[in-house]
Amino acid sequence: MRALSDIAPAEQAADIVPPPEKPPEKPIEKTAEPPRPEPRVRRLNIIGRRNIFFAISLLIIIPGIFSMATKGFLLGIDFAGGTEFTVNFSNHPSVATVENAVAADPLTAGGTVIQTGGGGGYIIRSLPLTPQQQALVEDNLTKRVGTMVVQQVIEVGGTIARETIEFALLALVLASAAILFLLAIRFRNVPGGWRAGFQFGGSALAALLHDVFLLTGLFSIMGKGLGWRIGEIDSLFVTAVLTVVGFSVHDTIVVFDRIRENLRVSQRLSFEQVVNISIMQTAARSIITSFTVVLVLAAILIAGGTTLKGFALALLIGIVSGTYSSIFNASPLLVVWRRVQPLR
Amino acid sequence: MLQLVLSWPIRLIIIAVLVFSLFVDGAGYVYRVANHYPLTGNVPGLPPNFGGWQLYIHRGLDLAGGTHIDYLLTNFPPGQARADVQQRTIQVINKRVNSLGVSEPQIRGAGNNNDRITVDLAGVTAQQAQRTIGAISKLVYTKWVADTKVTNGPEPGYKPQFVGLTGDDIQSATSTIDQNGTSWVVNISFTSRGAGVFDNLTRDNVAACPGAGVDCPLRHLTIWLDLTQKDIDNWEDPNYVSKIYAPYDTGCLSAQTPNTICGKYLVDANSLTEIAGGQAVITGGFTQQSATDLATGINSGSLPVDLQVLDVTQVGSTLGAESVKLSLAAGLLGLSIVVIFMIIYYRVPGLLASIALLFYAAAVLAIFKVVPVTLTLAGITGFILSVGMAVDANVLIFERFKEEVRAGRTIAAAVDAAVHRAWPAIRDSNTSTLITCVILGFVGPPAVQGFAITLGIGVVASLVSAIVVTHNLLAIVMTGSALRRPVLMGVDRSARVV
Repeated sequence: MRALSDIAPAEQAADIVPPPEKPPEKPIEKTAEPPRPEPRVRRLNIIGRRNIFFAISLLIIIPGIFSMATKGFLLGIDFAGGTEFTVNFSNHPSVATVENAVAADPLTAGGTVIQTGGGGGYIIRSLPLTPQQQALVEDNLTKRVGTMVVQQVIEVGGTIARETIEFALLALVLASAAILFLLAIRFRNVPGGWRAGFQFGGSALAALLHDVFLLTGLFSIMGKGLGWRIGEIDSLFVTAVLTVVGFSVHDTIVVFDRIRENLRVSQRLSFEQVVNISIMQTAARSIITSFTVVLVLAAILIAGGTTLKGFALALLIGIVSGTYSSIFNASPLLVVWRRVQPLR
Repeated sequence: MLQLVLSWPIRLIIIAVLVFSLFVDGAGYVYRVANHYPLTGNVPGLPPNFGGWQLYIHRGLDLAGGTHIDYLLTNFPPGQARADVQQRTIQVINKRVNSLGVSEPQIRGAGNNNDRITVDLAGVTAQQAQRTIGAISKLVYTKWVADTKVTNGPEPGYKPQFVGLTGDDIQSATSTIDQNGTSWVVNISFTSRGAGVFDNLTRDNVAACPGAGVDCPLRHLTIWLDLTQKDIDNWEDPNYVSKIYAPYDTGCLSAQTPNTICGKYLVDANSLTEIAGGQAVITGGFTQQSATDLATGINSGSLPVDLQVLDVTQVGSTLGAESVKLSLAAGLLGLSIVVIFMIIYYRVPGLLASIALLFYAAAVLAIFKVVPVTLTLAGITGFILSVGMAVDANVLIFERFKEEVRAGRTIAAAVDAAVHRAWPAIRDSNTSTLITCVILGFVGPPAVQGFAITLGIGVVASLVSAIVVTHNLLAIVMTGSALRRPVLMGVDRSARVV
């Protein structure tokens, strides 16, 4: 991690890379002068290469948006509506046996069968059923396939499904607006005042939307494009997206906070230089924090229950994306915004 | 504010919180030790009750197994406050559910328009639940007509006859204490149609047996739930009548087969005078409990609205138990990985942060028990996730600490500077997470709310643990120069110790 660390900004004025119009081809390596022995400091010019990083993001996001627009999502039961039986057959039947039994029952004909693990576990989905019909379906399955344990039955009507979707959009809009204003308020004391505050807030918001689109896009590709069940969208996925929103802003704020501090202490540097130094100074922290969260999530993904795997994967993707966007998108975007709308 | 953190009062508070948390977390063991029970195995009296607190983790349905149903209320009676109607419906459902013997049934109103009711019943199948709650109980009034073939039963020589007055004609029944303040009575108020029918009935009754306060069968009006014409036709069978005449039994009705006979009797009241105006009072030596039961019984015979099922989730108890086991394993695994990583990467500060992390875990679990927070699968995930976040504030401080050491500060001064300089970032970033939690908690569906609550509690506790606990531990360790060696602090040898 030493490679990413840095020395205090005031001591570094001489080390700053050339302005971004002429980005260097290699990271600049430089040995700091002694007052006392100092480790070698290597600095990456992130701001100068911002177009590369923007391109990488777009490369993932655009196919995702395309997939969302054309194919949509693989919907979980709480969005799609209907009845879902989670059962476990004691005689470990084949998928075909279960599918035949489901198709043979007029109540579940046209429903879907998903195998969960090898131990006779299946998920069977059908249109909404009344409790009496559910009991009939369970009886028929037992007759046609064999004895089974009904682990879970979920019945979701259309009203609830619509409300869950409405909630998801509402929560996202509310969270975005709240975060924009929180940042605008917290960063209004940088030079430039409220307008600068909104530049900070807007850049964080853009990074946040980057993560939201990247995550939903990837899940659309996984669920519909590749047909993986882990790419299913349910209310836990919505929770994951909103958590990622929180985390992404968390990371971005740490960088922005450092920019704010460095703007105060180093008047000699250009805005771009300050931003680049700030990214370098906070990168170690961002990566370590994300790393620990990723470790925890990987633990859930490997050891957690089946129901939580999609959730853990969504959080994992989102948090990696959140770290990436806070380092490589949010701050470069702030620089671009400053150029378009100069404040000093 | 940050200067206060290192003061002794704060340290004492932290120690008190820790002791309290450990007591709450280990309440079961405290109880076992105090009562000389073995530490494992089944013990009577668990979970222990400390001053009204049942200290155990409240498990949501997805962990405990059971049934969750969302009902939509339709057909609201006109001219009544919707919130009241919703409350009355909840009481009715509560009464019906009680017969199932569910521990801690949760029946809550919801919906912007007071038009939703959410029911959570642990350990009950969806079918049982729906039959009990949705059972169409109909409250009916009967008078008594002579029938010489009836030799037994509540009124020998008489059998009941429907009078055309049902639960639909009753607006509400309430139990109150009477004007003298000595005995409990049940007030019934009828709708305008009911009032008219009731007026005619009582007038006929009084005329049938003339004289003030006379008690004869013809003066009696009896209230039943679900009494059918078939029941009345069987009245000559004394065996049958004795079962029907038993107090109303929802449990029996929800499990009934065509051959079972369940109690359907509610109350048998003597009309003393003609009652006009639609307000009747049932007296008769009630206790507070029996009067309330009767009022609820009358009300439960008349769901004021129609219930439409929106969604049902039924979770088997084995799946729940498995989920608990897997989540706990994931949580412990995650926690240990984080602890190992922190110690290897940050040395002594990492160790201190890990100790703070354990404090944090103990405190959060205690909060879950005391509040109490009902833990769901999503809720546990929120908790596990907040472990990861709890480390973040520490990482921010430690990274800053390394920088400050490199900038030439002494180790003790660097700790101080690191905490102060990292604080704005910690504050702002956690505020944004908390805002997200609040939004999720307010607008989210129940599963998401559970997640938001545990994550929110986790974020606040992690702030305390990082800023107060870790910083204090660091400050205490700083007093021993052996521990201040740069290699132990995870910084360069070149740093000055002093």
